[in-house]
Amino acid sequence: MPKKRVLLVDDNPVVRSLVRHLIELEPDFEISGEAENGRDAVEKAENLKPDLIILDLVMPVMTGLDAAPLLRKLLPDTRIILFTVQEGREVERLAHAAGIHAIVSKNQAVSKLILQARSLLASSPAKIRNAS
Amino acid sequence: MTEHDSSTSQNIKYPHWQREFEAAVLEGDPETLRQRVDAAEAALFLRSQALAESAQGHAEQQAISDATRTLRTIQREKLAYPDWNKK
Repeated sequence: MPKKRVLLVDDNPVVRSLVRHLIELEPDFEISGEAENGRDAVEKAENLKPDLIILDLVMPVMTGLDAAPLLRKLLPDTRIILFTVQEGREVERLAHAAGIHAIVSKNQAVSKLILQARSLLASSPAKIRNAS
Repeated sequence: MTEHDSSTSQNIKYPHWQREFEAAVLEGDPETLRQRVDAAEAALFLRSQALAESAQGHAEQQAISDATRTLRTIQREKLAYPDWNKK
């Protein structure tokens, strides 16, 4: 089975490096690219066409919430996980409105992020397309 | 940094990230501020990951949340990050 391709979006290079390392330990995922803000993610996603985008919320230039609707329009079948330290109902409401499929807290172990990614990728594309 | 290091400083309660956080808060040079904030954010993330694997550290997790909020304010007000929660 081909590996699922992941675009990792975070402005912090250390966080990107750690998450990349942990994800690449999994046999079913590969990091196909990295981006350092929302605009960079939109530009790279068009070429990379990832199966999954792991998206930080607070970034310079363009936030994850501003990038998500553009990414959904560009790649309707790509799953998007907001990976953030921000928690609460307001983040959930705005993320849902932006078309983000799931939120995982950066305060949780990265293993939770991987479990959530597998769960989302197991969902049918039609279900994902309508999830906003 | 090790736990042993913390015993040499009476003011360091959270040795895995407190120095980096304070360096970011106290940084006055705009050229260096982004690096300091990135370093503090990375230290907080790494420590959060370690605490996530244990049942300990509730007080430290709260301190990490407070520190993260402070870094967000610095990013927004001094580094011109866009506000994710704009109305």
